[in-house]
Amino acid sequence: MTKYIIHRLILTLSGIVFVLNAYARDSIQVIWEKANAFYATEEYQKAVIEYEQILDAGQESAKLYFNLGNAYYKAGDYNNAILNYERAKLLAPQDEDIEFNLRMANQFVVTGIEALPQPFFVRWKNSIINRYPADSWAAISAGLFMVFLLLLGAFLFSRSASVKKLSFWFGILAILLTAFTFSFAARQKEKIDNRNHAIIFCPRVTVKSAPSENSTDLFLLYEGVKVEISDSLDSWKEIRLSDGNLGWLPDSCIVKI
Amino acid sequence: MSAPNAVETGQQFRLTFTLNKKGSNPDLPPDLTSNFDVLMGPSTGQSTRMQTINGKTTTEISYSYTYILKAKREGSFEIRPASVEIDGEIVESNSLKIQVVKAQSGQQQPSQNQQQESQSRESVSLGGNNLFIRLELNKQNVYRGEQIIATVKLYADPNIPVSGFDEVNLPTYEGFYTQDIEMPQQINFNREVFNDRIYQVGVLKKTVLFPQQNGTITINPFSMTLLVQQRVRPRSFFDDFFSGIQTVKTTITSSPVRINVKDLPPQPANYYGGVGNFNVTSELSSADVTTNDAVTLKLTITGSGNIRLIRNPQLQLPSDFEIYDPRATDNVRATDSGMTGSKTVEYLFQPRFEGDYVIPSIPFTFFNPASGSYVTRSTPEYTLRVTKGTGDQSASIIGGRHREDLQLIGQDIRYIKQGNPMLKIKGSTFFGTPAFYSLYAGTALLFILLFIIYRKKARENANAALMRNKKANRMAVKRLKEAARFMKQNNNEAFHEAILKAFWGYLSDKLGIAVANLNRETAVENLKSKNVDDPVITNFIEIMDHCEYARYAPSGGSEARSELYKKAEQTMSRLEKQIKR
Repeated sequence: MTKYIIHRLILTLSGIVFVLNAYARDSIQVIWEKANAFYATEEYQKAVIEYEQILDAGQESAKLYFNLGNAYYKAGDYNNAILNYERAKLLAPQDEDIEFNLRMANQFVVTGIEALPQPFFVRWKNSIINRYPADSWAAISAGLFMVFLLLLGAFLFSRSASVKKLSFWFGILAILLTAFTFSFAARQKEKIDNRNHAIIFCPRVTVKSAPSENSTDLFLLYEGVKVEISDSLDSWKEIRLSDGNLGWLPDSCIVKI
Repeated sequence: MSAPNAVETGQQFRLTFTLNKKGSNPDLPPDLTSNFDVLMGPSTGQSTRMQTINGKTTTEISYSYTYILKAKREGSFEIRPASVEIDGEIVESNSLKIQVVKAQSGQQQPSQNQQQESQSRESVSLGGNNLFIRLELNKQNVYRGEQIIATVKLYADPNIPVSGFDEVNLPTYEGFYTQDIEMPQQINFNREVFNDRIYQVGVLKKTVLFPQQNGTITINPFSMTLLVQQRVRPRSFFDDFFSGIQTVKTTITSSPVRINVKDLPPQPANYYGGVGNFNVTSELSSADVTTNDAVTLKLTITGSGNIRLIRNPQLQLPSDFEIYDPRATDNVRATDSGMTGSKTVEYLFQPRFEGDYVIPSIPFTFFNPASGSYVTRSTPEYTLRVTKGTGDQSASIIGGRHREDLQLIGQDIRYIKQGNPMLKIKGSTFFGTPAFYSLYAGTALLFILLFIIYRKKARENANAALMRNKKANRMAVKRLKEAARFMKQNNNEAFHEAILKAFWGYLSDKLGIAVANLNRETAVENLKSKNVDDPVITNFIEIMDHCEYARYAPSGGSEARSELYKKAEQTMSRLEKQIKR
């Protein structure tokens, strides 16, 4: 009998959880609509609050970060705008709108940093990798693997020599592409997981040569700059600028993308 | 009718009527006696003036009636028109205003003697209240850009004879845009009452001021040096020989004047700096033109105010018009009532393409300080009909035209994204999940499974062929036995058919060829490829021929049949031997 009651209890509980879940999903859609409406009526602060609520619920998407960035931008908070555009870019590296708005927001950054020129093949590779987010690459990779299997089958069972020849070479191409796209997906995934870039949030911060207050001042950074985190020690982070400069700053000054 | 405009009580003054014809029965205004005593009059006078211009002589005679009056009371009085009868008609004069002030001390009841005495007295002291200059403004609280009329006046006691000016420093109006009002060279002194005293007042300069900054503007004191004739007390014997009148230089300084300038309320669009009261008119040179004709729109702003400071209003023309810089001319007069005049702006443009265009109205907004608000006046809209000009003219121009670059007016971020937000749990990706890897593993497994199944099936098929191969001989023997049975029964047709069946079935099983695909040619070909001896093949063909022939045309008896049967048995056993795997 008790077993039965426990069973029923579990059933009802799971039912409640399911309903709550559905409710939560529903209400997030409502919040999303509400936030967009606030944005449309130029109540940007309110829109920011609503978008942040969705983030607090543990959900994210490129669109959400993009809209949140827009709301911050319109509210005049360019640091947060840049941060959210960068986050959106991480999830949707191919989105042109994100790129454009990020460029607009970066106009408000005081520090101008000239990025080190990269060799053309690195640039090409990056532009190819950034064409799709991790999941798209993953799907492409899986699709190519299936194509490879089909070609393998054709190679094994075909009696025609020309079909065998074609399927052999295309099969090799397909398995190579599978490997490449898999590595691209891994790269994109790694970027999302590691999050080793950050935005400076302190209005003005002195970058030190070592993780201590007494070390030499190297250079000044102003808010809004994107930096790469290369090391960390206690409450200090070693950062690398896109022009190759290295230095340490307190991690209270940066927010990870 | 003329009389001094300011008198003291008890002072005698003249009131004169002048006529250009002789009249009779002059009649003073009825209520004159209530405020003034008529001491004497009328005394008539006559003057004749003759002029000869180009041999033509004109004579002007004027008659005057003079009354001597004395004011009874202080105040400002209006003398109503007097009338006189001229040739039986009654003519009325103009009316006058006379201000009567309290008599100055020491000058009360100035009799002839006293006047004499006062002249012999030492002259009134200079400076102070007796001689000063003053800057008179018609307004002291104004809006920025509102016009003020500033008058520099010299006040002198009537007893101070001013003979000339030595040095005149007129005020510098800092913080103002100024425009001098034209004045006659000769300075006329008028009697004027100021602070209950009668002065000789000379207007030195009149200027229209336009304040250009907000707040309190102070006009600094200015000074001038006057030459005043003064009688001096004879100090020595010799002085008596001279007139006893000396010309004395005296410098007088004005007091500073403050002006409060208020800022204009927030400026609306189409405000071009005009403060005052204006009107706009416009005129289009032609409403029907051909392409590349020059068209002029003339905008005229008339009124009073800071016309010179008005910027050219903007004319919004269709963008493919060739537009030249507008030309502005102004015609401004500064008068006692302020600056009035007109400003003309000519907009010159050339339509490039044919069509009907609308030249929009030009809204012109100015600030009216009287009402303290902005007023907008607009010109009418015009329709411009452009027809095509001569062909080569436009072609040559189009050839020389440069393309307009896209002009970015503003920059802004792109708008937010709508629709399904496509939310995911933070940090989750499809890549790296078990589902993702199982996609690879699953498809690979499926492939391997399919491969294995295929191979197994293939092997089974191969086995079936082997079995049939092995069984072929037995089957053939069985069928031949059946043929032997038909032979005993003398069943000709069935016997031959059984032999055919035996051979075709045997070959089909042995060679792995379906019965349907088997005919004589393929069979022979296959047998040859299996290295079967030619005699065996010919035997086989003979049996086939015989069977097919004998099947429908019964020939021979049982011997022929048994012979065929033997031959078939032999051939069969040889085939069995010779067909190897």
